[in-house]
Amino acid sequence: MPSALAFERVTKRYRNGVVALDDASWSIPIGARTCLLGPNGAGKSTAIRLLEGALRASRGNVTLLGAGPDTPAYADARRRTGVVPQNPGMYADLSAIEYLELVRQLYGRGDVGRVIEAFGLGPHRRTMLAALSGGFRRRLLLAAALLSEPEILLLDEPTVGLDPVAAHEVHELLSAAMKGRTTLLCTHNLAEAEALCDDVVILRGGTVLLHESLVALRGRVAPRLRLRARQGVEPLIAALRRRGLAVEVEADAAIVNVDGLRAGPELLRDLLGQGLDVYESVPLEPSLEQLFLDVVQA
Amino acid sequence: MIDRSVQILLGKELRQLGRSRGALVSATLLPLLLLVVVPIPQLLTLRNLPLDIPELPGGGPPGLQSLRGADVFVQLLYPLFVTICGMIVPSLAASYTIVTERERRTLELLVALPVRLSRILVAKLLSILILGIAVTVPLFAVTATLVVILGTASLAEIALLLVPLGAAVVCSTCLSLLLTLLARDFRTANNVNGVLFFPVLLVAAGILVGVGGSARLLVLGAALLTIGGAAILVGARWITFERYLE
Repeated sequence: MPSALAFERVTKRYRNGVVALDDASWSIPIGARTCLLGPNGAGKSTAIRLLEGALRASRGNVTLLGAGPDTPAYADARRRTGVVPQNPGMYADLSAIEYLELVRQLYGRGDVGRVIEAFGLGPHRRTMLAALSGGFRRRLLLAAALLSEPEILLLDEPTVGLDPVAAHEVHELLSAAMKGRTTLLCTHNLAEAEALCDDVVILRGGTVLLHESLVALRGRVAPRLRLRARQGVEPLIAALRRRGLAVEVEADAAIVNVDGLRAGPELLRDLLGQGLDVYESVPLEPSLEQLFLDVVQA
Repeated sequence: MIDRSVQILLGKELRQLGRSRGALVSATLLPLLLLVVVPIPQLLTLRNLPLDIPELPGGGPPGLQSLRGADVFVQLLYPLFVTICGMIVPSLAASYTIVTERERRTLELLVALPVRLSRILVAKLLSILILGIAVTVPLFAVTATLVVILGTASLAEIALLLVPLGAAVVCSTCLSLLLTLLARDFRTANNVNGVLFFPVLLVAAGILVGVGGSARLLVLGAALLTIGGAAILVGARWITFERYLE
């Protein structure tokens, strides 16, 4: 499958000597919804900046829809890409509709009225950008990124700094916008990544630690079971520890890692055989946060 | 002739400049003083009180020889005022259009759009140039008309003053590109403006005093355009999105 965007042995060293990306290689196929995760300083925003053409790689190749930033085809690739920047400054002397009109003219296509309607910006069309609330600023940025119906969407921390209500609204808009579009979502919010993306690229110190689908990533982590017994948690813990299992306690439940989900029934039979009335046995999906911490801390 | 994206961005810049009361007031007030309020009383005074500059040993610098009465105004003082104003207006506008965009991080909005840095900067420089001409030429025309009506200078002599005026506006606009590289905030921009313009004004004063006859205005214009061209070459060599975004 052709790549929507690709990094080929890319190094980005800033003028102050900081190496943001170090020989990083990864690519995203057309149609993928990928989140870019990593601790602060991992190189996530630098990757977005390289793709949007604001920065040049010190070494290696960055391509967008197959075009490098110095090739004639890049301008066209860029016009097929919508970008939501991370918390930008807002003009105090340009209204929402004027900004969207500017965006439409620069992309050469789009229906301003449609995105104003779709993103609920109608009451704020004449409001200066700096006077918009945080939630409406993000709506406007998303509207601007989607105005030209781009094939690729680059989202740099689209909900950072928003209150939970505004973040939820933006998530819903993002979820609809990302359908059928190649998306690279750069975020710190693991729940957001989990809800919106299928694949994950984890960066640390400018290098790619992992690039996998969330399903495959979950398969790497030992399955966990949450168990509850009528006799209470203490006898349950004692029985599990006798089997040599590490146990976490969560209120009146015991959580154990099992060696594959097929080991679950055997464990249950053993516990029941010991006279413990186990009335709940729930397999737990590892959260992205857990997966992320496992990978980054490894 | 002008790239379409530059035209679009130029429209944005001019709209924003037109709405920036601070930019318009500061870009108009000082030129109003230097091109109209201060020169007209000087003109009337010098016209009515013939002033002979004392003979200097060896005849003095060529630019000061044979200047009598209102000639001092037309040949020396007013060209200097015109040059100063031509330099000031674009520099003030640049602080608003270039430095403020950087300081307030609104540049991030433009970076997200499919447009190259060179187009953004060309649009900004054009808007600065247009504002510079729009402010200084009408103010210049007021005093110039009075000079011609009073018969202090011919229309051709006064029209020649448009050479240093235009060249100063162009020079200052070009120097704005260096301002883009050097200043990250409004206060630094004002300091950098001073550092950049003081030598240029010294050169201008030197040419006005050192070159005699009507050639002085042409030489001054050529010098200003040369300085502006050098600024553009240096700026274009070093400016990148990375530097502008820092």
